[in-house]
Amino acid sequence: MKITALLVLKCNPDGSDPVVLATAMDVSHFGYFQRSSVKEFILFVARTVGKRTPPGQRQSVQHEEYKVHSYNRNGLCVMGFMDDHYPVRSSFSLLNQVLDEYQKNFGESWRTAQADNMQPWPYLNEALNKYQDPAEADKLLKIQRELDETKIILHKTIDSVLARGEKLDSLVEKSSDLSAASQMFYKQAKKTNQCCTIL
Amino acid sequence: MMKLGPSSYRDRTQEFLSVVERLKKSVASANNAPSSSGSSNSSRAVTKPEDRKFAVAIQSEFNKRASKIGYGIHQTSQKLAKLAKLAKRTSVFDDPTFEIQELTAVIKQDITALNSAVVDLQLLCNSQNESGNISSDTTSHSTTVVDNLKNRLMGTTKEFKEVLTMRTENLKVHENRRQLFSSNASKESTNPFVRQRPLATRLDGGASTASPPPWANGSASSSRLFPSKQADGESLPLLQQQQGQQQQQMVPLQDSYMHSRAEALHNVESTIHELGNIFTQLATMVSQQGEIAIRIDENMDDTLANVEGAQSQLVSKHINENRVHSDSDSYNLDCAYKQSKLMIWHTTIVTA
Repeated sequence: MKITALLVLKCNPDGSDPVVLATAMDVSHFGYFQRSSVKEFILFVARTVGKRTPPGQRQSVQHEEYKVHSYNRNGLCVMGFMDDHYPVRSSFSLLNQVLDEYQKNFGESWRTAQADNMQPWPYLNEALNKYQDPAEADKLLKIQRELDETKIILHKTIDSVLARGEKLDSLVEKSSDLSAASQMFYKQAKKTNQCCTIL
Repeated sequence: MMKLGPSSYRDRTQEFLSVVERLKKSVASANNAPSSSGSSNSSRAVTKPEDRKFAVAIQSEFNKRASKIGYGIHQTSQKLAKLAKLAKRTSVFDDPTFEIQELTAVIKQDITALNSAVVDLQLLCNSQNESGNISSDTTSHSTTVVDNLKNRLMGTTKEFKEVLTMRTENLKVHENRRQLFSSNASKESTNPFVRQRPLATRLDGGASTASPPPWANGSASSSRLFPSKQADGESLPLLQQQQGQQQQQMVPLQDSYMHSRAEALHNVESTIHELGNIFTQLATMVSQQGEIAIRIDENMDDTLANVEGAQSQLVSKHINENRVHSDSDSYNLDCAYKQSKLMIWHTTIVTA
């Protein structure tokens, strides 16, 4: 489950090419000479999909072995290139987070951007690294995972408690036998004692 | 038990009238001799046939009405059987609502009319019984007839109500099924529901033809993708035009983002619920085992007391024996004494 790239674009409602505002790409798994072309390609696809995403809509496009998820909110469009295994819901929650973060950091300045902005935004790079695991991005997924682990642990606990119950049962048997035997012993001692008092 | 229909009773009116004629003649001839009682007799005799004719007329009126009511009830119950069949037969898509409603209205009208007719009949019967000088057989007969008709009408009304309740239940079940199908179309990956998907997603022309094959191929549950309905329809052909070399394919969009989130939340909630259950069971089991542990503790205390008592006995006996008996016995006692001391030591360790 891998995120290959995260991009923030400014989409114009008139349908012209979107302006790239921030990008973070992880092309390490491509060969060295292919990396730049892959980056270009990613930009191109991002622009196209961004053009096609109407404002206020979420969209997912399957492209070869990638899924491109895009979320356009009031002209600010966030896109993620993920592989097929990445859960879609987590990807959209991640996009939401990135969008909020961008708006917090840059306010409304992006609206006036006309040229592609190639300055790296460290948050985006961090996000790319951190959110390779979908559970990080999607709290629901994280919670579900933890709950499942807890359930497994509880099952083991119940099994061991059952074993403990069995042992306690055998112990109670033995202790009742012991007390019966000690009672017999006491009676026997009393009986043998009685015969000596006369002597 | 009186049968329904116009021919359910034997109409002996004609016989009766002929008998009356005969009697009139015989009474008239008998009345010629005694003159004093003749007039009264004749008048009585005259009134009697008239009365009898009047009574007969009333009785036949009663019978006619009763037979009409009985026939009406029979027809209504037949219509009711038809309605019941229609209501049972109704399915999700092919609901003969209009017919059912018509039939229901007709049956209701019939029942109300029959009800009023029975009430009238009862009034007539009562007035008859009070006024005329008719025999007790006739009165009992008429009251029985009226009661019978009333019971039949009540039975028909009850059946009508049952049919209506059954129909409302069926309608509810169909509504539920319809909702199930329309909202959960994405979850069903089996074939029968592929047909329903075009209805649920409502894609327009160009994209809809491309949609069924990708649906069949796409992974249903893991890829929850998002609809943007018109956008898909436009973007797909445009993208295909622009990037002819690259193969782009719109993965079918089945559920919305919000649906998947809602479902995830539901799952989380149910998981937490299960965990609560598990904890409760765990607590029950541990408390039960605690009870067992207490019992063990008591048993050990008993054992300790017994062994201590036995030891004290043996001590006193040992002292006695040391004065009196041989060595073998005292050796046995010695061993018993030491063993009991050991037992006490062990028991105190365990209970502590």
